[in-house]
Amino acid sequence: MAGVRLEHVYKKYPGSDNASVKDFHLDIKDKEFLVLVGPSGCGKSTTLRMIAGLEEISEGKLYIGDRLVNDVAPKDRDIAMVFQSYALYPHMNVYQNMAFGLKLRKFKKAEIDKRVREAAKILDIEHLLDRKPKALSGGQRQRVALGRAIVREPQVFLMDEPLSNLDAKLRGQMRAEISKLAKRLETTVIYVTHDQIEAMTMGDRIVVMKDGVIQQAASPEELYNHPVNLFVAGFIGAPAMNFITGGLVDQGGALHFKTTGIDVVVPEGKAKTLREKGYVGKEVILGVRPEDLHEEPVFIEASPNTVVNAHVEVAENLGHEMYLYLNGIGNDTVIARVDGRAGMRDGTNVKLAIDMNKAHVFDKETELNVFEV
Amino acid sequence: MSTPNWMDQLQQILKCPVYHRKLTVSEWREHAARASAGSGKAFGAPQPGQLAERDGKPLFALRTDGQYVDVMEISRSNLTETDKALIGWTIGQLKSGLAGFTGPASDTESIAMQIGQWIIDQLESEHPESTLPDNLTIRGRLFTEMIPFLLVSEHPVAETAGSAYTELEKLLRQFLAEDILLIPLKGQEWLIWGPTSLLTDTESEERAAGEEDSLEESLASICSGLYEMLASEWIGDCHLAVAYPASPATSMVETTRLLRETVYLGRKFHVGNTIHLPWLIHLERLLDSIPESQRIRYVEQVLKRSDVFVEPEILATLETFFELDCNVSETAKKLYIHRNTLLYRLDKLKQETGLDVRQFRDAVLVKIILLLYKVTKRA
Repeated sequence: MAGVRLEHVYKKYPGSDNASVKDFHLDIKDKEFLVLVGPSGCGKSTTLRMIAGLEEISEGKLYIGDRLVNDVAPKDRDIAMVFQSYALYPHMNVYQNMAFGLKLRKFKKAEIDKRVREAAKILDIEHLLDRKPKALSGGQRQRVALGRAIVREPQVFLMDEPLSNLDAKLRGQMRAEISKLAKRLETTVIYVTHDQIEAMTMGDRIVVMKDGVIQQAASPEELYNHPVNLFVAGFIGAPAMNFITGGLVDQGGALHFKTTGIDVVVPEGKAKTLREKGYVGKEVILGVRPEDLHEEPVFIEASPNTVVNAHVEVAENLGHEMYLYLNGIGNDTVIARVDGRAGMRDGTNVKLAIDMNKAHVFDKETELNVFEV
Repeated sequence: MSTPNWMDQLQQILKCPVYHRKLTVSEWREHAARASAGSGKAFGAPQPGQLAERDGKPLFALRTDGQYVDVMEISRSNLTETDKALIGWTIGQLKSGLAGFTGPASDTESIAMQIGQWIIDQLESEHPESTLPDNLTIRGRLFTEMIPFLLVSEHPVAETAGSAYTELEKLLRQFLAEDILLIPLKGQEWLIWGPTSLLTDTESEERAAGEEDSLEESLASICSGLYEMLASEWIGDCHLAVAYPASPATSMVETTRLLRETVYLGRKFHVGNTIHLPWLIHLERLLDSIPESQRIRYVEQVLKRSDVFVEPEILATLETFFELDCNVSETAKKLYIHRNTLLYRLDKLKQETGLDVRQFRDAVLVKIILLLYKVTKRA
């Protein structure tokens, strides 16, 4: 097993003015499960394809372990890939599909047999070894594709949206299985997805990308609780963080955040930072996660300085929780995530308190999180 | 690779073993830098006869393909400077001897190269022949129907052990079947003929009657499997096209023409796709025949009316919508968005362009605009 190091890597396609990946600099530790996440076109798949050797690196260095592999062919990189459009070899049965790579590398028959059967057992496909791919379901095919990668015992697994062709139920199931598998095999995994649930649940560390640039690389908790900019804050979390544009005003010794329908006091610690950085009197963007808007009377009583009144446009009850789509706080719809038993109805007025200790403030120009830079 | 005759002779003259080695260019540079330490020489591409040193033994560059260097190692550390200069100079002059490192390795390769040259000649000729000359039909073997593939690799093929031809042919025999024919064409382009038995091999005994795939589906699935294998086990990024089974002896030229056109159109209209199927690019073929100036004019006229087609979100939405036969629910599912979000996007498109892609007539027009936009925006 080995780590992967990318040193100031760029990818530029001929004829294109902009680089698809810009200054990608990251050290991926041995046995780490790293997730690359971002909207389509952000460069995450291109980065993975460069690591795989399927795309040339325009600039920068790529190391797998201690070996510089910029000019090493994919087959000699000691990696195994499972891609979204994984194609099994249709004329071979499951056993032959899994054994082919080993046969090419001239492994002894007994060793091939041992590895294939072990992988089949791990993936629970022992009973399918004689079947041709056409006779398999989507989930079974996915397992065979994983099996083909596992038997190679590579230094690094590369996975590009491997679950996107599966239905929601199967995706959830395979998500857990891949996580378990990675721990069991103790191997480095680089996993690309646009699905933030996959990213949050599977990754030891997540790299959020946009326009070919790393926005933030951190643990799931760190990303969720301490996003460095507006993009990361809005990308991670469902429903997304609410953004309310307003001004910071000093009033009676306290710092207030004010705009249409909202006038809340910023807690002293955060106010100190904002004052020091010269934000008083300026327009900023307040970021509040839906779960940081509280309807519980106890919370409202304890936070009289952060209370807002709003109109419930739609109340979506999911049973265990309820999403309230609210008007009247700033100019856009604000979403609150409250207890499913709160009993809110469409068209009613509601009083909520914002947990300002957990709120974020973003610079309107740079879009950076004032508390994280 | 066997040692050329002149290396045996050199071995006798020097009274020590002489070996042929293969190094990467960066390894070569390292050894060359050591040999010239202090001379301040800069090292570009290795030149035949250039000197390097490894473990005190002299190495001479023979040839390079840009990634690897064929090297001659002399197992004697006490060669004089004059000896070294003389050997280096001789290698520099020895063009015919060095050709031994690049020539065809087998009869099959030799015939395949002749067929490849014949195809290229016919494609460039004003009056091309369609039937392979008798001396190239490999004792009538090429009259049997086979499945043609065209492989175009993105990067130069590094020769490791033996020639790239031998390596690829061996790989294809292991993967497809013994009965394949590999023909090198120009540059990094290869024509592959595989047996039609692959079509029956992909069928599964467990499937219920009436569930058989169409010929196109089976060919596409074999092509995807072959691509996956070639990309991960041989060359990395490449393009692969497949066509309907045909008899190589009588359709070599026509098939190559079709596959080349398929790869060309596929790469032009569907950047990012690596597997190209001729039966899926009829519209692209038609649009490609429209003169460039007219295409540009038409796209400009349409796009001037709105910027909506330039938005990546709308582009991705429409691509998926057409891919899924204009099915709203399936498209929303594939894009991980709510059905209403998709409908909102389609309504926005209708509002800005007057085109409602849920209606067949407008859908055709938008599909054409999208294809034209892809090939004219870079103009």
